[in-house]
Amino acid sequence: MAMRAMQEATFMILTALANGSQHGYGIIADVRDISGGQVRLRAGTLYTALDRLRADELIAVDRQEVVDGRLRRYYRLTPAGTRQLADEAARLQAHAAVALKRLDLAGGMAT
Amino acid sequence: MTDHEHLERAYRRLLAWYPREFRRENGQEILAVLLAGAPHGQRRPGLAESADLIRSGLWLRLWPSVPRSARTVRAAVKLMYAGAAVSTVNLVILLALTVDIKGSASWLNTPFIPVSIAWSLAPLALWLWMARETGRGRNWARIVSTVLFSAATLDLTEVFGPPGIRLSLVPVIAGSPTVPVLYWLVGLAVVWLLWRPASSAFFRPPGYTQAQHQAQMAEFDHQAQMAELARIRARVPRQA
Repeated sequence: MAMRAMQEATFMILTALANGSQHGYGIIADVRDISGGQVRLRAGTLYTALDRLRADELIAVDRQEVVDGRLRRYYRLTPAGTRQLADEAARLQAHAAVALKRLDLAGGMAT
Repeated sequence: MTDHEHLERAYRRLLAWYPREFRRENGQEILAVLLAGAPHGQRRPGLAESADLIRSGLWLRLWPSVPRSARTVRAAVKLMYAGAAVSTVNLVILLALTVDIKGSASWLNTPFIPVSIAWSLAPLALWLWMARETGRGRNWARIVSTVLFSAATLDLTEVFGPPGIRLSLVPVIAGSPTVPVLYWLVGLAVVWLLWRPASSAFFRPPGYTQAQHQAQMAEFDHQAQMAELARIRARVPRQA
């Protein structure tokens, strides 16, 4: 089956979790950091994506804590999630490499 | 009421757009994230933020998340949406035919036209309703789907009878049996998938949440992780 491109929000959420388990707000903050402030996830989008990713078994609940009387869940990547993120990252890298090469931006091309 | 309480109440109202099960499981957490992200002194949610919550809530209501472990149910839900698509096409054709007939409408079919259009909305609504409730793991939806399929089977026997406009669950297009049979086959596949043993594990008594399902799957997940680890270890050459 042809691989469908992953949505950017999904890619960023999985990337945030690649460093270890995080809770919802932690993911939003991390995604903002790694994208240099470019990607700002909204709570609605985040939790819809987390729900889908859990159903797809790409992420799972790592642990739960109660903070200020509210439940806080920490999510982590599953083996399938790790694999999918690695595949998507490789795919994006390959595409970016071609683009940079054609634009003559990759190091060592200009002579 | 403080600004904070005011804001919290507004967010709670917006969360009503989400399905109840989702709210029960994630509501508190989303609320905490929303409040943590709000600048000090904010009294009401921003427009973009509200739109995001409403859109996400409606999206989840329309397309419930079916766990990957329940593959058969996932396939059944997809087929039900395919059935809904066929119903839509049928409805469009029926409307086009109606416009055609109207010029030469006989006394017999004139009052019948609005009724048959209204009636052909029923299968569309039933497909969508069943897809949604099945996706949410409602066991009654599985039973109702099966009953509807039986009714459609009875209808199908009529398709091969004399031509004419009838009230039927199976779409009738210009006397050709291809579409009704195709439609019926989709129904057959759905019912078969819904009663597979793999599906039965997904249909649980009310109150069964994804969290509970996840807990059940945790053991399975643990085994998968161990297997993955063993694979990775096998790939790394041992140091002498």
